[in-house]
Amino acid sequence: MMNNSLCIKTEGLEKAFGSVQAVRKLDLEVEVGSRFGFLGPNGAGKTTTVRILSGLLKQTNGTGTVCGYDISTQRDEIKAATGLLPETPGLFSKLSAVEFLEFIGALNGRNGDKLHLRIDKLLAILGLEGRQDDLLESYSSGMKQKVLIASTLLHDPQLVFLDEPTSRLDPAASALVKELILILAEETGTSFFICSHITSFVEGVCDIIGIINEGQLVIRGSPQQIIEVTKTRNLEEAYLEIIGGKVDRQALLTWRSV
Amino acid sequence: MSHKWVDIAKAEFLVLTARFRRHRLAIIGLLFVIGIVWAVYLAPLLVELVMNALSPIIPVQGLLMLMFPELMRAVMMLMWTFILFSSLSQALQEIKIGQWEIFLANNVRTRDILIGTFLARVPICGLSTLFFAPPLLAPFLLTYKVSLIGQLMIYGVLVLTMLITVWLSNFLSAAVQAKLGSSPRGNSIAKAIAILLSFILILPVIGLQLFAQQFAAVMGLNLFVVFPFTWSADLISWLAIVFNGINLTAHQIGVFQSILQFDILTNTLFIVVFGCICVGIALATTDRVFTYSLGPRMETITTITHENFLYRFIRRITPNAFGALVVTSFKDFFRKPQNLARVALGLMLSLLLPVIVILAYGQRYTLELSSVIPITGFGLAFTGVLVFSGVAFLESRDQLWIIQSAPYGTSRFVKARLATAFLIAVPLSIIPTASLTVITNLSLIHFFGLLAYGYLLICSAVILGTGITALGPNYEDMKSPGYTRNLMISMMLCLVSTMMVPLLLGMVTRRILGVSLTNLMLAIGIPEEISTAIMPASILLVLGVVLLLVGTWKLGRPHT
Repeated sequence: MMNNSLCIKTEGLEKAFGSVQAVRKLDLEVEVGSRFGFLGPNGAGKTTTVRILSGLLKQTNGTGTVCGYDISTQRDEIKAATGLLPETPGLFSKLSAVEFLEFIGALNGRNGDKLHLRIDKLLAILGLEGRQDDLLESYSSGMKQKVLIASTLLHDPQLVFLDEPTSRLDPAASALVKELILILAEETGTSFFICSHITSFVEGVCDIIGIINEGQLVIRGSPQQIIEVTKTRNLEEAYLEIIGGKVDRQALLTWRSV
Repeated sequence: MSHKWVDIAKAEFLVLTARFRRHRLAIIGLLFVIGIVWAVYLAPLLVELVMNALSPIIPVQGLLMLMFPELMRAVMMLMWTFILFSSLSQALQEIKIGQWEIFLANNVRTRDILIGTFLARVPICGLSTLFFAPPLLAPFLLTYKVSLIGQLMIYGVLVLTMLITVWLSNFLSAAVQAKLGSSPRGNSIAKAIAILLSFILILPVIGLQLFAQQFAAVMGLNLFVVFPFTWSADLISWLAIVFNGINLTAHQIGVFQSILQFDILTNTLFIVVFGCICVGIALATTDRVFTYSLGPRMETITTITHENFLYRFIRRITPNAFGALVVTSFKDFFRKPQNLARVALGLMLSLLLPVIVILAYGQRYTLELSSVIPITGFGLAFTGVLVFSGVAFLESRDQLWIIQSAPYGTSRFVKARLATAFLIAVPLSIIPTASLTVITNLSLIHFFGLLAYGYLLICSAVILGTGITALGPNYEDMKSPGYTRNLMISMMLCLVSTMMVPLLLGMVTRRILGVSLTNLMLAIGIPEEISTAIMPASILLVLGVVLLLVGTWKLGRPHT
C-alpha cells in the first residue's frame, strides 16, 4: 500500500551488470519534502540507483515506488513527476540555452508563452541572461551545468534527482544552487535526492543522508546523527570513518624511489 | 639518444590496429603474407581467368593495348586519390589536438610527431595497396607480358608513390587539424570536409565504371602531366613497355611516346624531386604546422537572433509542443556543417541521377516511364539513406539519458526527427524527378507521379535509416563501428528491397504461375508503371515502418 508521506520507497533493490553487483539489497525511504543526500565513493552505486529510481534502468531484483508510482510498471508516470540532472552533461551543442530548454519543455509536453517566461526567469536566476541566446558549444562546463539544472526544474517536478549537481560549479554558483534547493524545498515542498562526493555541500543542504558503499546502504540519518554515531567532528570525517580512506603519508612518495 | 618518433609510431600503430588487440602483430603479419600471395599469384590468376572469359565478348586485351597509358593514369589517379583523401578524410573525423598537447608537453620535437605518425600509417596503407593494386595492374602486366624484373620495378614505383602520398596526406591532415583546432566548431567543419572528401573519393570510381573510355580520353590530355600521379603512371607504362614480352614494334612505342610526353628518366626525376620537396617542406614547416591555436575564426560565439520564415511557418501550422520539437530538431540538424555536407551530397547525387539513368538505358531521349522507374527508385532511396542514415541524431549517450528522462521522450523525439527529415526530402525528390522529366520528355502527369513515387521512396528510406539508427544508436562519431554498421545495413536493405526482392518475386511468379509479375498485375487491372513503382516502394516502406517501431520501442525502454 502506498505511503503518502514517502516519495521514495525501495525494498531489496538490486542491480547487477554481469558479474558486477552495482546495488545490493537497497532498502530506502525518503520522505516527501525532504532533501536526501546520497553519499558514496566512485563506483559505489549512486548513479545506478538514481537511474533505476528515475525509470531509466531496469533493476535486477527488488521493488520500489517513486512519487507513488511503481518503478517496474509506471516509468512514464515517474518521469512526468520527477526531474533528473544527469552526472555528465548531454546538451545539444548547436542549440542555444533558450532553445535547449524549449526542447526539454516540449519533450515534457509544454510550450508557449508560459514556458518561455519560465525559461527566461530560470536563466536570469542562474546568471545566464546575457548568454542565453549563444550556442551551448561556447559555454563553459559550469554554464552547461547551470542550463542542465534549469532543465531539471523546468516542468516543476515533485521530486528532483541531482547527480553531482555542483561538481563543475564555482563556489558562488554552488552557493546559488544550494539556496535554490533550500528555497524550493521550503516554499514548494519539492523533494530532492542528491548524489554527491562533496560532503560540505551535502552537510549544508540535506536534512537526511544515506551513505552507500559497494552497492549497500551503510548508514542513514541526519548529518548530526551520523557525526555522533561515528564520534567525529564533521561529516567529512564521518564519511572517511565509514568508507575508509585514511591517507598513509609515508606511502605517497614510495613511487619515487623505484 | 632516444628516438621519440619510434615511440610515437608504436603508439599510433597500436591505435590504428586496436581492433586486433593482443594478436595485432600476428594478424598484420598474416595479412601481409596473404597480401603477397594475392599480389603475386592469386590476383593475376583471377584477372587472367576473367580476361579469358571476357575475350570472346569484349576484346579486353585490344582495348587495354589501345588505351594503355591513359587507363594507367586513371588507375594511378584512383589509387592516389584513395590514399590521399581517405587518410585525410579519416584524420578529419577525429581532431587529435589533445594528443599533440601531450606530445608537446613531453618535450617531443614536432618532426618526431610527423615522422612517427607517418611511419605508423605505412603498414596499413601498404596493406591496402597490396590488396587493391594487383587487380588493377594485373590486366596491363598480363597484356604486355611484363618480365619479372619489370614487374618488380613497377611495384617499386608503386611503393614509392604510396610512401610519398602517405607522407603528403599525413602532413596535410596535420595542417588542416591545426588550422581547425579542437573547438566544437572546428570539429564540425572537419566532419563536413570529411564527408565531401569521401564523395571526391568515389567520383573516380564512378567515372571509371561508367565512362571508362571518356575517362581515359580525358586522362590522356597534356593537362594531366602536371599531376604527380601521372608521373608514376607514365613511369609504370614505360617500365611495362621496356620490359614487355610481346615484342612491341618501334612504331607502337612511338605512339605511346607521343602520349606519355616525358621519357623514363624525366618521370623518375619528377617523382623523386616531388618526394624530396614534400619531405623538405614538411620538415621545414613542422613547427608552424603543429603550432595550433583555436584562432578567432573558431572561437566565434554564435548568437541566435531571430527565427527564419520556415521555423515561424512550422510553429504556425503546429502550435503545440510537437511543433516546437520539430523546430529545434531542424535547428540542430542544419547548424551542423556535417549535416549540410550530407544534404549537399544528396543534392549532387540527385543531380547525377538523370545522367546515370540515361547511361543505364542508352542515349535515348524518349524513355518509357516503366524503364525509368526502377533505377530512379533505387537512386532516390539510396540518396535518402546516404543523407539521413547513420546520422547520429544523438551527440552522446548522456543526451539519450536526458531524452529518456522525459515521459514518452524518445518516441516524441523520433517523431520530430522524422518530420524534419520528411521536409528536407522535398527538394531532394523534386530536383531529380524534374530534371528526369525534362530530359526524357515525360508528361506533367507523369512528372507528378514520378515525384510522388520518388518522395515516397526517400521517406521510406528515411524511416528505414531512422529505425536502424534507433535500434543501435551511434553518437556523432563517423569513425565508430556503429556509424559504419548503420549506414551499411541501411544501404544493403535499401538495395535488397528496391531491386532484389521485386526481381525475386518476378522470378517466383514466373516459375510458379508461368506469368510475369507485371502481366499478373495487368491482369488484375494495375498498369505496368504503377506495378513497377508500387513493389519496391511498398517493400521498403513496410520494412522501414517495422524497423522504426521496433527501434523506437528499444530506444525508449529502460536499460538492462
